[in-house]
Amino acid sequence: MLTEPQNRISPKALTVWRISGVIRAVIEWSIAATAIVLLHIFQGPQWISIILIILGVIFTILHILIFPSLRWKRWRYEVREEELELQEGIFIRTRTLVPMVRVQHVDTVQGPILRKYKLASVIVHTAATMHTIPALDETEAEELRHYISKLARVVEEDV
Amino acid sequence: MFEPKRLHPIASVINTLKGIKNMLIPVAAILFSAGRDGGLSMIFSLIAALVIVLFTFVSGILSWYRYTYRIENDEVRIEYGIFVRKKRYIPFERIQSIDLTEGILQRLFGLVKVKIETAGSSGDDEAEAVLSAISKGEASLIQDYVAAAKNADTRDTQAESEIEQIFNISTRQLVILSLTSGGTGVVISALFALLSQFDDLIPFKRLFRGLKDWAIHNLITIAFFVFIGLSIAWMIGLIITMLKYANFAVVKKEGDLIISQGLLEKKQITVPLKRIQAIRINEPIIRQLIGYGTVYIESAGGSSANEEGANVTLLPIVKVDQIRSIIGPYLPEYALTTDFTPLPKRAKRRYLFRSWFFTIPVVTAALIFLKIWGLLALILMALGSFWAIAKFKAGGWSIHQRQLSLRYRTIDRVTVFMLKNKIQSLEMQESYFQRRQDLGTVGASVSSGFGGAGGTVSDLEISDVQKIYQWYSREKQKQGSLD
Repeated sequence: MLTEPQNRISPKALTVWRISGVIRAVIEWSIAATAIVLLHIFQGPQWISIILIILGVIFTILHILIFPSLRWKRWRYEVREEELELQEGIFIRTRTLVPMVRVQHVDTVQGPILRKYKLASVIVHTAATMHTIPALDETEAEELRHYISKLARVVEEDV
Repeated sequence: MFEPKRLHPIASVINTLKGIKNMLIPVAAILFSAGRDGGLSMIFSLIAALVIVLFTFVSGILSWYRYTYRIENDEVRIEYGIFVRKKRYIPFERIQSIDLTEGILQRLFGLVKVKIETAGSSGDDEAEAVLSAISKGEASLIQDYVAAAKNADTRDTQAESEIEQIFNISTRQLVILSLTSGGTGVVISALFALLSQFDDLIPFKRLFRGLKDWAIHNLITIAFFVFIGLSIAWMIGLIITMLKYANFAVVKKEGDLIISQGLLEKKQITVPLKRIQAIRINEPIIRQLIGYGTVYIESAGGSSANEEGANVTLLPIVKVDQIRSIIGPYLPEYALTTDFTPLPKRAKRRYLFRSWFFTIPVVTAALIFLKIWGLLALILMALGSFWAIAKFKAGGWSIHQRQLSLRYRTIDRVTVFMLKNKIQSLEMQESYFQRRQDLGTVGASVSSGFGGAGGTVSDLEISDVQKIYQWYSREKQKQGSLD
């Protein structure tokens, strides 16, 4: 068996994901509510409304309570001298290898929620693909960006 | 070469035509929208249309007048723009390739269109320069200049400049290519698109009302006309393909592959061997049955506006078992193997389940809502299962020293050959169901033009997936088989 990548992302990611889960749930509920009101006005069948409510409850629980912790448990990354390895995915576990020589540039991004919790995501670009490490501590993300771009510069092979 | 030059005056006509082409739909819309009421609005819309056409004509001439090019200080320098004057200097080292195209207009005057391509890194269409009509002599002069300047740096590595013939399309191949091409579909959809443009002009509704009664009594006649129509569309598609791929030839010159094609419109594409990211063989179902396929190369050149630059047809039609002997000697880094490790037997069930996952709900819904006619949906399920088995059979992988080869089926059977140092990232996946069966998915990405390309094979033996993963990992190789 292959060993798992070493590092986990910040535990604060859980909070951030739960918050975005709440935002998502609010949007989902408002859509469901509109649909139910419309159904009521136009006297549509009641069972559709009931299904919508049940689905709403299930999705809310999944997005706020279950998915964030499953996702956090699965998320791992490791930066080695010659390559970057990522592991993610709740139902489908994906592991990705990105050699340092293939890295074109590295970004850190920070949305409003991430900023509030002093977190940032690192995005690594190759000539063909884009890989995100979400929710690292601000300083850690900054260091990682420097570290990766330094390693990426060391070896020059032609594309 | 050092003083600024204009393009051939015919370029102004080309500019105008291009402008008119872009304006065609708006102008038609103006004409048709107001045209029916007659009287004043009719005159207005006519004037508006005329003004637009006149404007395009004048701007076509002006943009020709303002467009100059010259070669200076190892740069191609272009100055253009009617209101805003723009200058673009392209250093020789940045030039990826120079493509020549001879459209019908250019051929009438013995001219060529020259497209100067830079690397696709900036991504926008502004990255390249197009000299839409210059004399052939001038074009080859530019080519020579650029080649000479480039070779000055790397003279010792590449001394010989002989031309090696790699491939010339035969009449037989051209016929097979045209017969099996999907040109028909293109023609039919173009026809529909055209008809829908004239929606306002032709009173379809009124026509159809009368037609309906007539149609019911004349089903055979209608079927006949539909058949004739389809045959004509197929013939047109066939001719278009023939014209496009006639005289298809591939030669190798120094470090470049030069591909030329076309009868009415001649086209020449240059692909530096260094820029090849992967080799891909596509076998559409019909061609696979008779043992033929198409070979493409993924190249790192090209910009988003020029997809062709990235995904180049190398051999439009060829017997699959001859591919290796045709291009193998010229691409020595690649082992064009036909030796693939197939998927394990138990993967077949996964492919079938995955197809049923979509088809069974459809079939159940059809049976519930359409009653006996819903049984027709079973055909869909049969097709889905058949396709799933075909996908399972196509799947396979092989590693040959520094090369990963993947084979899978979308609709065509696709075989991709990728060198380790051209693979941008590698991925392995396990879903819950795959894990229970010790299966896994592997995917590799290569760079191609502005985006990515590559391949993914589902449901390999998990130990095989790990083998590929380890092969790609630079660190795990060092650790050897410790874990």
